[in-house]
Amino acid sequence: MGTENPGRPNPVTGSPFAAAPPPTATPFSAFGPVVGSEASGFRPPAQPPQNTMLSMSSGSVAVSQASGFRPNNPPSRFNDPSLTSSSTAYAPPASGPPFQRYPTPQFPSVHQAPPISQPPFQPPAGQLPSLTSFHLQPQVPVVPMGSPPSRLNAPQLSSDSSSSASRMNFQPSLPHMDSSYSAARATLQPALPGYVKQANAISQASPLTPVQAQQGSYAAPTPPPPPPFLPQQGGFAQPPPVGTLFGLHSRDQIQQLGSAPPIGGIQGLAEDFSSLSLGSVLGSIDSGLDPKALPRPLDSDVEPNSLGDSYTMNCNPRFLRLTTSAIPSSQSLLSRWHFPLGAIVCPLAKAPDGEKIPVINFVSTGIIRCRRCRTYVNPYVTFTDSGRKWCCNICALLNEVPGDYFAQLDATGRRIDLDQRPELTNGSVEFVAPTEYMVRPPMPPLYFFLIDVSVSAVRSVWLLQSGFLLDMIHEVLCRNYGECFRYVAHDNKDSLDMVFIREMVVAQTIKSCLDELPGYPRTQVGFITFDSTIHFYNMKSSLMQPQMMVVSDLDDVFVPLPDDLLVNLSESRSVVEAFLDSLPSMFQENVNVESALGPAVKATFMVMSQLGGKLLIFQNTLPSLGVGRLKLRGDDPRVYGTDKEHALRIPEDLFYKNMAAECTKYQIGVNVYTFSDKYTDIASLGALAKYSGGQIYYYPSFQSATHGEKLRHELARDLTRETAWEAVMRIRCGKGVRFTSYHGNFMLRSTDLLALPAVDCDKAYGAQLSLEETLLTSKTVYFQVVLLYTASCGERRIRIHTAAVPVVADLGEMYRHADTGAIVSLFARLAIEKSLSYKLEDARSSVQLRIVKALREYRNLYAMQHRLGGRMIYPEPLKFLPLYGLALCKSAALRGGYADVQLDDRCAAGFTMMALPVKAMLKLLYPSLIRVDEYLLKPSAQANGFENIMKRLPLTIESLDSRGLYVYDDGFRFVVWFGRMFSPDAAMNLLGQDAAVEFSKVALGKHETEMSRKLMELLKKLRDSDPSYYQLCNLVRQGEQPREGHLLLTNLVEDQIGGASGYSDWMVQIHRQVQQSA
Amino acid sequence: MGDLFVWLIAFFILIALLVIVIFQLMALADLEFDYINPYDSSSRINKVILPEYITEGVLCLFFLITGHWCMSLLCIPYLYYNVRLYTQRQHLVDVTEIFNMLSWEKKQRLFKLGYLIVLLFLSIFWMILTALEDSDYD
Repeated sequence: MGTENPGRPNPVTGSPFAAAPPPTATPFSAFGPVVGSEASGFRPPAQPPQNTMLSMSSGSVAVSQASGFRPNNPPSRFNDPSLTSSSTAYAPPASGPPFQRYPTPQFPSVHQAPPISQPPFQPPAGQLPSLTSFHLQPQVPVVPMGSPPSRLNAPQLSSDSSSSASRMNFQPSLPHMDSSYSAARATLQPALPGYVKQANAISQASPLTPVQAQQGSYAAPTPPPPPPFLPQQGGFAQPPPVGTLFGLHSRDQIQQLGSAPPIGGIQGLAEDFSSLSLGSVLGSIDSGLDPKALPRPLDSDVEPNSLGDSYTMNCNPRFLRLTTSAIPSSQSLLSRWHFPLGAIVCPLAKAPDGEKIPVINFVSTGIIRCRRCRTYVNPYVTFTDSGRKWCCNICALLNEVPGDYFAQLDATGRRIDLDQRPELTNGSVEFVAPTEYMVRPPMPPLYFFLIDVSVSAVRSVWLLQSGFLLDMIHEVLCRNYGECFRYVAHDNKDSLDMVFIREMVVAQTIKSCLDELPGYPRTQVGFITFDSTIHFYNMKSSLMQPQMMVVSDLDDVFVPLPDDLLVNLSESRSVVEAFLDSLPSMFQENVNVESALGPAVKATFMVMSQLGGKLLIFQNTLPSLGVGRLKLRGDDPRVYGTDKEHALRIPEDLFYKNMAAECTKYQIGVNVYTFSDKYTDIASLGALAKYSGGQIYYYPSFQSATHGEKLRHELARDLTRETAWEAVMRIRCGKGVRFTSYHGNFMLRSTDLLALPAVDCDKAYGAQLSLEETLLTSKTVYFQVVLLYTASCGERRIRIHTAAVPVVADLGEMYRHADTGAIVSLFARLAIEKSLSYKLEDARSSVQLRIVKALREYRNLYAMQHRLGGRMIYPEPLKFLPLYGLALCKSAALRGGYADVQLDDRCAAGFTMMALPVKAMLKLLYPSLIRVDEYLLKPSAQANGFENIMKRLPLTIESLDSRGLYVYDDGFRFVVWFGRMFSPDAAMNLLGQDAAVEFSKVALGKHETEMSRKLMELLKKLRDSDPSYYQLCNLVRQGEQPREGHLLLTNLVEDQIGGASGYSDWMVQIHRQVQQSA
Repeated sequence: MGDLFVWLIAFFILIALLVIVIFQLMALADLEFDYINPYDSSSRINKVILPEYITEGVLCLFFLITGHWCMSLLCIPYLYYNVRLYTQRQHLVDVTEIFNMLSWEKKQRLFKLGYLIVLLFLSIFWMILTALEDSDYD
């Protein structure tokens, strides 16, 4: 290790003895400077002077962090030759000194082991001795000793006495360690009675012994007594691969003992990798693999915070999540990391509860940016030259600090005005952009509605639908901009459900009105309807009634009126209302079945191109007239499995792509709502939304009675959520790395500039990184996501998220910092893109292949040393990855073939998934299944609250008990599953008279019973957890085919469905492939 | 004497093709270095794609009717490729995906460029040869 990283500064060691701190530690100092109070507690007195150059941190903690990572502050000794070999390093300081030094601030660099909910793997009690002597891999002893093949080292609570015993052993050492460093050696001895002698021997007699002993410990499966971590703490450089492993862990262990609750110590032990015993009988399906023991993400997504600990000023992971929080230092290392290296960015994600992104207005100084790379000032820039210059963290250029921005530095190198500069302490900030950042005056919020009023084949449905739709636009608009109550009341002709909705929405709405008040007087709206002709509406404020103008020339569309088609909502309010009131009745008698979407979009484009804005298209049928008409190319079963298969999923007509490109150019974002129950070619229509940064809403066989709420909610959300207009986004990153490809709904305006005409908090974008240089010299890579946009209030803003990530030279480290959520999200985007040019089969197998390759690589790292023969090993952070991979292959976008998912459903799912943020993506892939009957039946459920009930069950049919009532929630819909033996009385209570009817026709409504009320509350709670989509409730009885099949059973991803394998088969399959060429 | 003219005309057609391909390559390079936006770049390229295909077709036909079978045969792969792209409607540059396709588009055009240069040298060679023969004859 030491030889591998001669260029790595060792930040921590301040003393002249610094020669040989375990170099392995450097990458981990990432964990280090974490927590203020604790860290400072550990800091040796010699520390502060070293940090004088650092400026902008908020406390002594951050200071140490800075010293750890700032590349421009490299302590000179890292080139010390003594690093290169442990023996030379140790010859001189044979006795005391190295040990005195060993509790350097790295100690405090507590890997603040986030009390992860899965406690570590533990060896059985009988193997405790090997645990203590062999701290690092408790599993290791287990295997060779022939534990039963089916045994899985699955997470289990460490309650057995052995673990606590070992814990006790370590614990006492702590107080000593942080109190007296010089005496550390001595104090450790009592703490670890078993090792006293060794420690003495190491420090006093021969420094070489421990190293040898250690190597010995790896060669032989039976761990020899010498404690590997003691010598290391003493500062021995380890022989490369082994050292890496142990270096980290022994340190982690101690750190965790120091900071985390006692259990942390053991957690550290197992953190390295997890293994799964797949047994010796690989060939057979039941391979001794216990399905219950497989890892499952039942605690929903845990956002990675390993970085948050060390880089406290990073932005929240919900804005930027990297697939691994450790950037590989070389191309060769990257090529061994078989997952995509990249990030999922959600620039407008809702800030975490209780936090607010500070808005900063640089009136006097102008926005501070690097002269060369145009990076915005951020918490990681350093101020030097007593505050007159600042050093860009991305390109290392020294910039002048403008006069008005100047502030003195204090003794530690921090600016004295740090408290008043949120941009220097927060990873996420918003700047108010001056006029240099505008090419035109900020546009007003603009909503344009393009409504298909043709008669779709099922006329009766349409009538309801269209009227409903207009009512709703009406309602939402009005609600959005002020007079909420009036229209809710006025529109309340629906049943009880409405009351429920109303209660929910009104509160939300008032809030959104308050938020949007600044934008309110500027908001503009416009309407166009079309069937075989295009109808324009003049809604000039001086008119009493809107004027309708019909253009029937579809080949050469023109706009009959230059102005007044787009009107200011506040001025023309009465006309708009009159229009909305009359519109449903206007087309009631319409018999026109044609739909000229293409020309209508063109016309709308002409109207909107002056300003841009958001275009909402409501489409009932397949466009049949004019440019952009689509054929009923349909879904052909014969095509599946051939090379032409992908053609079904790409736009048939280039018109839509080109139109979307034009729209993006003129800052028009398109959202498409489609309602048809027949084929509408979502693949083509979706292109319109995809390349203009919008999204697709698909309501197959829309019935206003059942889907109404969903549409109402989602449309309201679309109109009222925080929207950023005419936005562009760019991700800057440090030297040596570059974002090469982007995935999601947007259009690229230049190689790295994403054009997003209308972006909001529900949209996330994937990006892939590549290394430009074969070897990265910096120790930290910085990322800065910048979104320049116009807020609804008319202010031009720049939202900036900054994050720092360490560069590592060790593959194991990359795996250790991997983030399953981000990897899965990126995988999903890549696979869906792949399905647009290849067969579905290929897309699925590419997912599997990459997982296999990565696990194989990981296995090669560890298997040899640890004799993990027949076991499957995987990094702890990636333990859910195989499951998510399986779920991805079974998602609606990629599942099966012709018969499994309708083409439109598939395409719509694909478009939706391309834009989903990580959390929603994981929920969609592995939905939650909750058993609710007990909660509903229990009389006083208030006491134990929702938390108990929200226990997620594995998604397999075995979780379903025929006496139970279950709720399945994938973020887009609910399925309420009634077991066959679920008490009819209870069903009656829930559904009233409907309980006896066929469930496909029943909507879950509120009834006057306690149970019903509780169920509705529960569902509401579930819905509130993610308001971006509205989950419509589907009721299904056990055994009610085919509904049960397609609503629920196909989505139980762990089961074997159709041709796809179940979870345990999948694991066996992956394991076998991993082993094949391992 | 007539043959010499044939080669001369072929030479000029080839030069024209070269110019068109280089023009497209330049547009792509400009795009890559962010000198122009994808809209301009793709519209510039798309404007000359059909002329390129037609010119290439004319060249092939020209060789055929003037009896230079070999050269005509040499032109056919290029023509076939173009026709195939055209029938698959993939001949135009897609403005929405241009950045993802950038490397492929460039590679494709560089190959065309090399191909055309080979053809150019061949025709120059034949031209000189014919000229020499003509003079010998005289």
